[in-house]
Amino acid sequence: MKGVKLSVFIFSLPWLLTFVMFWAFPLVYSFLIGFTDCTLHNFKFIPWENNWTGWNNYKDLFQDAAFLSSLKNTFIFVLGTIPVTTIIALLMALLVNRRFKGRAFFRAGYFLPSITSMVVVALIFTNLYQRGGYIALLLEAAGFSVPVNGFLYDSGTALFAIMAMDIWMSVGYYMLIFLAGLKAIPEELYEVAEINGASSLHRFRSITLPLLKPVALFILVINSIKSFQVFVEIFVMTKGKFDTSTMVYFIYDTGLATAFKFGYASAAAYVLFIIIAVFSAVQFILLKRKQPVW
Amino acid sequence: MKLGSVLSAVLFFITITTVSAQTTIEWWQFWTDAGIKPTINAMVEEFEKANPDIKVKVTDLTWANGHEKLVMAFASGTAPDVVELGSDWLAEFIVNGHIEDITSHITLDSGEYDGWSMATCQDKVYARPWILGTRVLFGNRDILNRAGYPEDTLPTLLIALRRMTNKVTSMKTGLYGWGSNTPEKHRLYKKFLPFLWSFGGQIFSDDGKVCVLSSGKAIEALRVYKILHDSSGYVADQRGIEDAFLDGKIAFILSGDWLLKRIKLENRKINFFTTVMPGLELPGRSFMGGEFLAINKNSKNKDAARKFIDYLVSPENQVRFCKANYSANPSSKKAQQDEYFTSDKNLRTFISQLRMAKNPPVDPNWVYIEDIIEKTVEDVVFNNKPPAATLLDAQHKITALRKK
Repeated sequence: MKGVKLSVFIFSLPWLLTFVMFWAFPLVYSFLIGFTDCTLHNFKFIPWENNWTGWNNYKDLFQDAAFLSSLKNTFIFVLGTIPVTTIIALLMALLVNRRFKGRAFFRAGYFLPSITSMVVVALIFTNLYQRGGYIALLLEAAGFSVPVNGFLYDSGTALFAIMAMDIWMSVGYYMLIFLAGLKAIPEELYEVAEINGASSLHRFRSITLPLLKPVALFILVINSIKSFQVFVEIFVMTKGKFDTSTMVYFIYDTGLATAFKFGYASAAAYVLFIIIAVFSAVQFILLKRKQPVW
Repeated sequence: MKLGSVLSAVLFFITITTVSAQTTIEWWQFWTDAGIKPTINAMVEEFEKANPDIKVKVTDLTWANGHEKLVMAFASGTAPDVVELGSDWLAEFIVNGHIEDITSHITLDSGEYDGWSMATCQDKVYARPWILGTRVLFGNRDILNRAGYPEDTLPTLLIALRRMTNKVTSMKTGLYGWGSNTPEKHRLYKKFLPFLWSFGGQIFSDDGKVCVLSSGKAIEALRVYKILHDSSGYVADQRGIEDAFLDGKIAFILSGDWLLKRIKLENRKINFFTTVMPGLELPGRSFMGGEFLAINKNSKNKDAARKFIDYLVSPENQVRFCKANYSANPSSKKAQQDEYFTSDKNLRTFISQLRMAKNPPVDPNWVYIEDIIEKTVEDVVFNNKPPAATLLDAQHKITALRKK
């Protein structure tokens, strides 16, 4: 028995070491230096040897216009992309769940953007959104007015343009999860409903939607965590300019790019951590409560 | 046999003493591309040959992570003896007490070099100017000919530049009069400051104590910068603008000597010219930056480090460096008189512009100040905010930042 325990420990050691070094240690360490004013210049490895400033970083964050702007943009991004992504993904899943010629082609086509590199997609969309880019030309041809400097170089449109790209890119992935959910609904339920004279809309509202709820909530949780951490698109497309800076971009810029304020950036990271934790907790509670009986 | 043993012992002793007397200095530098690296290596070898008691260990840095490496090295006490620093970073390292004050060592030849102002903080000099850089106006002659301008027309004044760029864009042939920068970090302010200075505006008062960024001259400079952008701007990042210029789409852009290097290395068949930054009534002021060589304050080999720096910045070595790297602005005035520079009209433009160039103030808060300036230009040019109010807001922010 003892031998078994030791071997379990030895086999799990690689994961354990990785977990401690790259997850647990940074988590505790960044929490501690969030209470100091350490920068790259005055940094001391032992957290309490740095200048301890208490809650000052947290107080300063909520008076910092750049942080508040990134907080606002993050919420716009999360609240703007999640409902749209979820609804479109559901509609697409319903569509490709039907039997029709070329169904596999459409399924693969819709899924393709989500397995493409975000950097590649962001670079392509940067060109599409430019003045004289195809999107601007198409919209102009259709009679719409477009920003003179292109969609990404205008504070009124830049964040929404990035959100649109993000929706386009991630919708195929969530479609696939919805599709798996749809496949798991017993066919008999639809047959019984049909025999009893239920219309297709009624079947959708009374069978499909309630039984897809756990899948939808799962999508909401993972999509909101991902959306709160939006960074690559912002970094590649605007570098946080034109009112597009998000919380993770702010943390990167403050801690690793411009000022190297490790303490301040760590405090900002913890604010983000708390927001995601609260958001996820609420969703998990909902998920638990609404578990249907099959 | 006995004599042989004695001689061997003496030889061994001499070898040991020579090796132990040799000083090794470490130098961290950024020139890594295949064009310039052999020249760097050759210069180091020659220095070692001329100074057998000094050995130089070279470490290459990249622009992507060099700054972090330097900061970490200074913070952990492992920084090299000699370090190459860009003008943007000098103040940061000086203020944090990492750089040796060399004021007493440069008085004899200070007049022979340009660029000291960038390495001077509170009347003390901290680094030697090595290779400088400025921005000049690049023009496409073919586009101007198509717009009806005679072969030798140059926009010496800003009003002429505005007229010419407007005319090119109004031809509606898919050509643009002016290449306008997106708000790229560390770049946009370098494009706006030449306009600010050419209008006679400043960031700080002459004594450096008061921020004067919302002066009438500054407002006018930003207004003209926006007019150029709005009426004839091809908007892209610096690389995008240069690509479009080299593809013959833009009549005028502001750029540095690296564009000359690209034109040569990529064998571009573009009919271009260079001229100094246009001004209001006289030629304008441009932006000046550069590479500096500094000594680590905690170095144990300061004399050897000084000797090595003196060697690198010598006029001969600067000319040699510029030839290998296609650089246009050696800091040495004697090097600037070399035939290599005087016989090339484009290099001559850069040398002339350097004499009419300014550097941003050496301020420990510069990274934040440049951020505020860039946000101001972004707000006015791209978000159509009023120049006067936006500059006033920036002035308040800079003042508050310095008080803090």
